[in-house]
Amino acid sequence: MQTKTPLWQNSFKSHIQTRFLCPESIAIKNKLMYCVETRHLSHSFSSHPNVLKDINLQVPTGSIYGFLGPNGAGKTTSLRLLLGLIKKQQGELLLFDKPFLKQRETVLKKIGSMIESPSLYGHLTAVENLQLMQKLYQCPETRIAEVLNIVGLSATGSKKASQFSLGMKQRLSLAVALLHQPTLLILDEPTNGLDPNGIIEIRDLLKKLNEEEGISIIISSHLLSEIEKLVTHVGIISKGKMVFQGTLENLVSKQQHDSKLIIETSDTDGSIEILSRLQLTVTRENGKIILPIPSKEMIASLNRQLINAGVDVYEMSPVKKDLETIFMELINQ
Amino acid sequence: MNNGFINSFSAEWIKKRRSFASWLVLIGGFFVPLISILIFLAYPKQLLGIHASGHFWILHFQKSWQLMAFMLLPMGIVLAVSLITQLEFKNNSWKQLHTAPVSLSSIYFSKLAVLITMLLQLFLLFNLGIYLSAVIPSLLNSNIPFPKYAIDPIYFLKENANYFIICLPMLALQFLISLQFRNFLVPVGAGLAFTIGGLIALSWKYIYMIPSSYTALYFLQTKDNTVPAHNLQSWSLFYFLLFVLLGYWLYISKKEKG
Repeated sequence: MQTKTPLWQNSFKSHIQTRFLCPESIAIKNKLMYCVETRHLSHSFSSHPNVLKDINLQVPTGSIYGFLGPNGAGKTTSLRLLLGLIKKQQGELLLFDKPFLKQRETVLKKIGSMIESPSLYGHLTAVENLQLMQKLYQCPETRIAEVLNIVGLSATGSKKASQFSLGMKQRLSLAVALLHQPTLLILDEPTNGLDPNGIIEIRDLLKKLNEEEGISIIISSHLLSEIEKLVTHVGIISKGKMVFQGTLENLVSKQQHDSKLIIETSDTDGSIEILSRLQLTVTRENGKIILPIPSKEMIASLNRQLINAGVDVYEMSPVKKDLETIFMELINQ
Repeated sequence: MNNGFINSFSAEWIKKRRSFASWLVLIGGFFVPLISILIFLAYPKQLLGIHASGHFWILHFQKSWQLMAFMLLPMGIVLAVSLITQLEFKNNSWKQLHTAPVSLSSIYFSKLAVLITMLLQLFLLFNLGIYLSAVIPSLLNSNIPFPKYAIDPIYFLKENANYFIICLPMLALQFLISLQFRNFLVPVGAGLAFTIGGLIALSWKYIYMIPSSYTALYFLQTKDNTVPAHNLQSWSLFYFLLFVLLGYWLYISKKEKG
């Protein structure tokens, strides 16, 4: 069955084609390594002590940074601290290399955000919601139609925001975040409550914004599977502590490092001797041989050598940890 | 004037479109005049009596203020201020507002300015309503003469300004309370308790200490034409300043802003 490209995706494309990176964002891209950096950030609430413990967040400029962790790990608290919604208690907080509090308004002009559930005025229409934000951000009025087009809400007319579906509300919130052409987007679980199609649409949109407009994006989620196709960098937080931070490749290589090959043969001792001669690190577990997973070609060669030595090979199974398992192990350690 | 304040005021003005509070201003402005029209049509003698007094507009103005000053205006302020402030809590939008590149001072004072402007709107509508409540019965009932008497603009401006000033402390106090509580019932309950408490304590010798009683107190002063024991306007301005500054301090000191 042929799927139809949503209208808003086409209009987004044309929008991208007509837009240029502003000199400021190019300058930031050239000069700044991290658009967001926290140093030893800790936070406690009176009811929940140690919600964040020594968080050193480093979000490279131009990246899509997936901020992952289970519910209650401290993701939203971290993001609220970044945006100044909670008073910082301990540590340093730098946005675009500037201390947040000293440059609050200058910094906020460059950030578009969406924290938790959509923040929209239910008694107003989509256009009115954007109009009032346009007054606050002092951006051109033409941006209202542009962002509505981008998120596919141009035809909502006089319908009030309270009558929107959750997906439409999320899109309108995204339009609000994009209205003033920010250089950094901070999105807290933006796909919450969306259907699979909606999730894919938002993911594609964010990818395009990052690739074609150079917008840095921090996106939080409690599901790795939801954002692994989108992010370039990952930060994993658990119980208020950062347990991993790096590129997605780092996480993938961790996956390869933790993968193994299980071999079961008619002669375990003989097989171990053959494999050891090939300088492979092997261990024995329940009568089976376990070794770090080699390349596909190497697995075939091992098989040939064992058979040529007269050993019957009953099983040769690669056991790969998927990203989700690594994520679960990291957050449960 | 600060750009941030003007931008913030324009945004706040959009927010109040179609809100319950803006409807309340419209209804509040015309409610008492509408009741007066119905009474004058049912009992024309009442309006004829005002015509015969020789001070038509002054007497009509005072009678219109009676219900307004005692109950409706204080209750209207409590409800409208709470509803406007509640917009942010109800829509979960404090966080969006506080991540906009506008100073906290601009946000606080623009919200306050919108509330004061709405109070001004209410006064304008109410005065228009007072005029119409004298004219419409004469158009519908030929036995009631048309009020051709000259209007003393100085009297009307002075009396409106006095009522307006004495409403300000209540507005500021209600704004202060409404900003502190997510639950709508808390500021409304507190505001109504202040209003009723003020009415109960009207004969107390220190009643001038309770700003929620000022509209009723001022009405009694003007009705009886008595020399006021205390300058309610000065007290009002003092309380207004106190509540605005206290409210501002509480607002900017909040640890969590959404």
